[in-house]
Amino acid sequence: MNSPLTVWIGAFITLAVLSCLIKDNIFYRLAQKAAMGIGVGIGVVLFWREVLHPYWWAHIQAAFNRTEHWSNALWLLVLVPGMMWYCQMSRKWFWLSTPVIGLFVGVAAGIAFKGQILLMLPQLASTLKPLNPWMLDGGPTRANIEFCLNNLFFLVALFTTLLYFCFTIKADNRAFRVPMKTGRLVIMVALGAMFGNTVMTRMSFLIERIEFLSERLKTLIHLVTGG
Amino acid sequence: MTTAVLRTLSMLYHLNPRWLYLAVTVVLIVPLMVTIPMPATKDSRGPKGVYDMVGSCPTDKVVLIESSWDQGSKPECMSQLECLVNDLCTRKKRFVVFSTGVYAPTFANEVIKPIAQKAGYVYGTDWVNLGFIKPPADNMGVLIQSFFTDIHATRPVDLDGTALTNLPLMRSVRTSKDVHMVFAVTYCPWQEWISFGKGQFGVPVAFGSAAIMGPYYYVFVDSGQLCGLFAGNRGAYEYESLTGIRGMGSKMMMAFAFGLCFIIAAVVLGNIGFWASMRLRRMQ
Repeated sequence: MNSPLTVWIGAFITLAVLSCLIKDNIFYRLAQKAAMGIGVGIGVVLFWREVLHPYWWAHIQAAFNRTEHWSNALWLLVLVPGMMWYCQMSRKWFWLSTPVIGLFVGVAAGIAFKGQILLMLPQLASTLKPLNPWMLDGGPTRANIEFCLNNLFFLVALFTTLLYFCFTIKADNRAFRVPMKTGRLVIMVALGAMFGNTVMTRMSFLIERIEFLSERLKTLIHLVTGG
Repeated sequence: MTTAVLRTLSMLYHLNPRWLYLAVTVVLIVPLMVTIPMPATKDSRGPKGVYDMVGSCPTDKVVLIESSWDQGSKPECMSQLECLVNDLCTRKKRFVVFSTGVYAPTFANEVIKPIAQKAGYVYGTDWVNLGFIKPPADNMGVLIQSFFTDIHATRPVDLDGTALTNLPLMRSVRTSKDVHMVFAVTYCPWQEWISFGKGQFGVPVAFGSAAIMGPYYYVFVDSGQLCGLFAGNRGAYEYESLTGIRGMGSKMMMAFAFGLCFIIAAVVLGNIGFWASMRLRRMQ
């Protein structure tokens, strides 16, 4: 994987992709098309090698070779529901695809429902936070007061954000104008934090590529100077 | 302010972005060449939670790592896996790795193997790579339920095709009861680990994700559903500060700090340029 040739191809592709910052050019488009083609090609091979062959075909083969129980040959039957998916492409046979789609949607919905309950209920429970420092161990110490203020801020942010999304309340209602504005401010701060993190991720990607290129540059200098 | 000064400042607003690209490249190269020590917050809840959880792992249990990152998320996830494996090997904790990404097992091995060899870890006794496991119908919930009920039935062989019964470590690792904690590292870890891994089976879960996913997962740390979180390279850097083993996270973080300072300076200068440009237009 890390042979000199592949590493240098990697360096060329990186430069070709980055060259679009100067101007759209043939090297950039070549790299773009090659990436798509290679991605699909590798995907097909890997899907066969890592999924279809070991989990499906190997069992059928073994059953026919009598190294595994004959019942494993029944795995061939999954081709039937598999082919039924493709009936979506035909108006005449579309109805054949509905049972298999219904089955998959039903299973996925059941698991998703359970997953969401297990995911969200603890979230609801964690919104119940102490606000009274006198009720905490050690009384109103500085740490406890800070903890309670943090919780208060959390609750204000939570309720004002929820209020912002209550579309049954008019936005020009005097009583709700300030809380709604606070909610909008909180949302904007959260979105700002998300955008900041997006910048961090993109920056990491750039740093990794620059480091990769600088290593190649060092190797090239060593080769030229004979060091 | 004179027109000449305003005109000079307004040039910042009309600057060709290619100069910025060149400048950011130069700014990022310098810290990659020269090592500059940077301070880190050691008490950050995310990495500290993982550190404490790893420390409490008993000898009869393993740390389960789901390493599903590949080339697309390597810049952030590689450093996270590296610092965790470094710590596991230093504190002599056994671990099992698997991936739900097709390309991921090779990338995981490239990070783990050198560290494990250096620490004198024996494959099959101290660590195992189960390779790629496909979630049925891309549903991770089903895979977690099946995996934690019977690991051997879900994945009977390791990455190289060796039967799990032939690997000494895997003989004692069969269900969720043999797993001390789960660490899922990829661009966007499956949230099913929280609902099924932690919610149903009660196994502590920690994530290593891209920084962009940090705000989404921090709420789960706050609610106690995640015992720890590495958000981007910062998470890896803070973990390295806790363990004292410097690696890729520290290297990336230095360049990162330089890059962010440059962006802040560019935003400030760009706004000054915009202001000058507007003022100039009004004067004309």
